[in-house]
Amino acid sequence: MSKSTREPTVIDSALRSLRGAGAKFWVAVALLSIIVGFGVFAWIVQLQQGMGVAGFADSSFWAVDIANVVTFIGFSYGGAVVSAILLLTGASWRSPLARLAEGMALVTVLIGAAFVIPHLGRPDRILGMITLANPASPVFWDFIAIVTYAIATLVFFALPLVPDAAILLGTHPDELGRFRRRLYRLVSQGWTGSAGQRGVLHRAIVAMAILIIPLAVSVHSVLAWAFTLVSRPGWHESIWAPYFVIAALYSGVALAILVVAGFRRGYHLEALIHAKHFVRLGYIMATLGALYTYLTFADLLPGAYVGEQGPVEIVHEMILGHAAVWFWLFLVAGTIVPILLVSVPRTRTISGMVVASVLVVIAMWIKRLIMVVEAAGYDRLTMSFDDYFHFTWVSIAITAAGVAAIPLLLMLLFRVVPMLAIDEIQEVAADDGSTVQRHAATEPAPRGHKAAVVAGSLVLIGLLGIGVGRAQPALAETVTDPAEIVATAASVGPEVDLTATVTSAGQAVADGSVYFYASTPMFAGDDNQILVGKVLTGADGVAEVSYVASEIGNVTVTAKYYADVQGAPVTSQVQVEVTEAVSPYVPAPARPLDGTGEVLVRFLFALVAVVFAIITVQVVRVRRTLRTAG
Amino acid sequence: MQIHKRTPSEGLAIGPRADLGLTPTDSAVDRGNLSRRNLLLTLGAVGVASVGGSIGLIAYRDEAAATEAIMDPSREHQWCRVVDLRRCTGERKCVSSCQIRHGLPPEQTWMRVLSWPDEDGGEHYMPVPCQMCENPPCQAVCPVSATFTNPQGVVLVDQETCIGSRICMAACPYDARYFNWSEPAPTNRMPAGSPNTPEFPSNQIGTVGKCVLCADRMPYAKELPACVDACPNGVHYIGDLVTDVAVNGQTTVRLSAFLREGNAVRFKEELGTSPRTFYIPGDGQPIGGPLEGVS
Repeated sequence: MSKSTREPTVIDSALRSLRGAGAKFWVAVALLSIIVGFGVFAWIVQLQQGMGVAGFADSSFWAVDIANVVTFIGFSYGGAVVSAILLLTGASWRSPLARLAEGMALVTVLIGAAFVIPHLGRPDRILGMITLANPASPVFWDFIAIVTYAIATLVFFALPLVPDAAILLGTHPDELGRFRRRLYRLVSQGWTGSAGQRGVLHRAIVAMAILIIPLAVSVHSVLAWAFTLVSRPGWHESIWAPYFVIAALYSGVALAILVVAGFRRGYHLEALIHAKHFVRLGYIMATLGALYTYLTFADLLPGAYVGEQGPVEIVHEMILGHAAVWFWLFLVAGTIVPILLVSVPRTRTISGMVVASVLVVIAMWIKRLIMVVEAAGYDRLTMSFDDYFHFTWVSIAITAAGVAAIPLLLMLLFRVVPMLAIDEIQEVAADDGSTVQRHAATEPAPRGHKAAVVAGSLVLIGLLGIGVGRAQPALAETVTDPAEIVATAASVGPEVDLTATVTSAGQAVADGSVYFYASTPMFAGDDNQILVGKVLTGADGVAEVSYVASEIGNVTVTAKYYADVQGAPVTSQVQVEVTEAVSPYVPAPARPLDGTGEVLVRFLFALVAVVFAIITVQVVRVRRTLRTAG
Repeated sequence: MQIHKRTPSEGLAIGPRADLGLTPTDSAVDRGNLSRRNLLLTLGAVGVASVGGSIGLIAYRDEAAATEAIMDPSREHQWCRVVDLRRCTGERKCVSSCQIRHGLPPEQTWMRVLSWPDEDGGEHYMPVPCQMCENPPCQAVCPVSATFTNPQGVVLVDQETCIGSRICMAACPYDARYFNWSEPAPTNRMPAGSPNTPEFPSNQIGTVGKCVLCADRMPYAKELPACVDACPNGVHYIGDLVTDVAVNGQTTVRLSAFLREGNAVRFKEELGTSPRTFYIPGDGQPIGGPLEGVS
């Protein structure tokens, strides 16, 4: 095809968002900006007074902000589906929607990532995520996955802008204004539209489309793993990673429908975007909705069936307890009704799809919120639910700011860049056959896992060489009491043998209780006494006990004999030098998979490096073909 | 504080030449051989030993590392807790003394005392502080390594690096972590001149706090942790696994024997966290049967 087959209508339509905007546009921008600004103000209040003002407490330590992170980044995947997946499957009907979907993907991932800021107690220390990074933490991999995905989304958004910028510079240079002219020139300098350049650009876009799918899977999986890699009931679920991926796709397609509907109406794109686009997206959404409903059942069944206290109470609370209203609202309004709206021919219209999408978007946010709030509120000691999260004006304002930021950023974004993929639409119109090239799929991307660190060396205090302590039968007390006790102590290796001979008026005392104590320097400066044992004397009046010393040093041994229950004991003390000791301390044994985490972390770092290499290669290739041709 | 009281500890009726089960196994003796040399080097009292030490440092890297580990004075102790449930009457003095010592607001308790009724209308009590796990899940998940285990086995939080992600709160199976949801009120601030170390942290808005085992009092020779000190019934023990001694402020016991005699258990053992808090199960029973010869 050649550039001469330009359809003026496409370029005209694309220019609508770039031309002078009406009063309505600026009023909308002002209103949305006020909502965003108020959210920022609320966040500043939260910074000053603490997260308590947003409704948090120890029983609701994670709540709306993390639910917003999951929800908004989830929306982003909808853009990837409409753009990348449909591109790779050769669904050329996507072309008028592609730019809007890619823009939505970019904007929502940025907003979702921004919700991490109010989620943190000390956002001022966020640089620690890099400088003090702990690769064993799932949160670290959240950070890596989100950053990687956001960069890939930006590149995927920017690459198709090259021919479009060139086209607009060629046809309407005066209408662009200075800023956009300079930007478009920067992007498209050197673009001639030659077959060679088109080939390079197309291959780069396809490579990015392939890459963005596993990257999005990785983002939603790692977000799920921030919950599932703890032992908390309700979160510790193996199904959650794919569950989050499907949730992202489902809600993302719904938001894509809303964004397309909004821009179609606002900029009168009816000539390009038809009811069939909405219905096709509706089919995709309904399929994903059915899949999500199925996974919801699969998520809840095992906990409910086994009946283990934590998981079963989480399920009970969700389907019959305090969260039940919201759960059934989600199920009916968020899955059943939207699927019906798509299924029934009479409601299979643009407005039907928009209503279904609104329901899905809101219901999926509610679902995420109850998944977060409910398990966080479960007290794992009392096995009961504490107070749930309560919304305050601060948390509502911060959430509303995120909601308002989606249309605001999209409206501003498409003031700068064309909202239609002009070149692609022309290409599709010129050549109905799709020229999509299939590339080998890349591997699925990073997963966070615990990198366990193997505990260090065993510490045993031992000293060989048979140093026999010299027993000194000193300090034997001679009291007026008829009973007398004489203690001896000897150490052989770590073993210390204690004896005591009890006599009364020269006669051996049999069956007398003798208490032996050994001193320790622990927990007190001098001779802190530990009971070694209580032993009965034999017929010869001798009581014996032995113990294994756990400390070396000079030990004071005390033997006590109570002649009578009420009276004071007779005691005898003797010193013994312990030169060898054995501590019973052994570090905790290694767990079965200790050490594998380190291997996994290295593998993940390598994988991330490969991903960045692929992205860089695509950008460099496109830049190079522009430079050489120019 | 009375830690010299020489009342005999309970339930230790041991016959003559009783096997206290402390005899090392063969493998332990083998490892003891290794460390014995290191200890000799460590003591450095004998010139010969010092020479051997320097040779060892040059010759074997592993040996050198092991020597360092032994030489590190902090390695001499591995602290643990024992909670004797037989004695707990639910006075919660441990909780209040801890809150006073660490300037905690009323809703923040680094130790919780659970209670539940029994069939006879009585109450069972169970104090739950940080379990000082040897495999702490909270430490693994911290994205900025703010939670760490000190060389003596105490799990601490660096208040100066914590970013307040609270994933440690999600990970702790014992719900033993607390967040500073607001700026501490003046009454809840640590007095001026407090060191604000991980061992003795001052409360900071937006960070996570938890039991620190009063680590600023290590090695507990002069003062015991506030909860141990405060308990009138001697429920709480602070112990050292290496020297095998534990103390509750009233009695000093041989730790391993005390745990064995009391059939000590650990909380949520199945999670593999290897807690260093041991519970002696029971509730108000006479401990170790009638005592002989002692009033």
